[in-house]
Amino acid sequence: MALTYGTDEWNQAYDALVKERTESQSKPYVMGTPEWVAQYEELIQNDAEYKEAAKDWEGSVVIKILAKPEIGLDKDLYMFMDLWHGDCRFVKIVPAEVGESADYVITGEYERWRAVMAKELDTIKGMMQGKLKLKGDLPTIVRAVKASARLVDLSASTDCRFPDELDAAGIEDLRALLKRAEDEFGI
Amino acid sequence: MVDVKLAPGAEEVAMAGMIAEMIKANLEKPEKLKDFNRLKSRVHILAEDAETEMTMVFDKGSLTVYGGKEGKPDLSIVTDAASLLDMANLQIKFGMPWYFDETGMGVVKKLLKRELKIKGMFTHLIALTLLSKIMSLN
Repeated sequence: MALTYGTDEWNQAYDALVKERTESQSKPYVMGTPEWVAQYEELIQNDAEYKEAAKDWEGSVVIKILAKPEIGLDKDLYMFMDLWHGDCRFVKIVPAEVGESADYVITGEYERWRAVMAKELDTIKGMMQGKLKLKGDLPTIVRAVKASARLVDLSASTDCRFPDELDAAGIEDLRALLKRAEDEFGI
Repeated sequence: MVDVKLAPGAEEVAMAGMIAEMIKANLEKPEKLKDFNRLKSRVHILAEDAETEMTMVFDKGSLTVYGGKEGKPDLSIVTDAASLLDMANLQIKFGMPWYFDETGMGVVKKLLKRELKIKGMFTHLIALTLLSKIMSLN
């Protein structure tokens, strides 16, 4: 039985998972794993440029990576960013129902997000091409275009391994990790 | 009820849907609706880097958005996706687009460097001004 999202128990267990993974995994971390997400969170929290660009921003943003079972992503992955006036309160992988309830959900196939994080695809361009789809109030996100761009730049500056670069054993490890996350956290 | 509609097929062009949605939201402001009701013009937008284009046909109170190029435009805006959003972030001061802050200067620089090309800007200056005001989120 998975823990209930939003409870102290859930948060403590999630933090413990991140700690365990951060200590046991070698860098660069695999994109989409809790340890990679924590690294990304730290980058945002310490970035002066983001803080300045996002000083008026209010609301949560979710990066939704659509499932791709061949590389270990058996389910859609929701990376939830709780952002408020330049502060990043947290970035976590969350259950689908929590992810879908964010103020802004940007959805794309794994390949699109990989291209964004490899700096091969600009998010704005991706949205205009329909490769990334935004759910949420468009004018608000357009007003905060510099903050959005900085968030994406930061995701691209995390040194990471992409799931499609993993060997068969690595993919199975990722699948097992995400299964554990599903069982324990409802992710 | 604001008359903004997508022509058949336009929903397949993501940029067309985005710009239409932005304009629709903007028209909730009475001053923008007033400008919208004055504007009669055909505007073509090409986001070169995204390789996507659209046409907006304004007809004094109605807007039809087409995916791709449709007819002979009065104004043709050719730029990159990010610059289009810069235009949407232009401030409006004294009833005019404001080019003297960071965003405005950025737009002017792009015009001078030909990173933003607006064909018809001198012959349809009023239409361009009204369009800038309608598209501006500010």
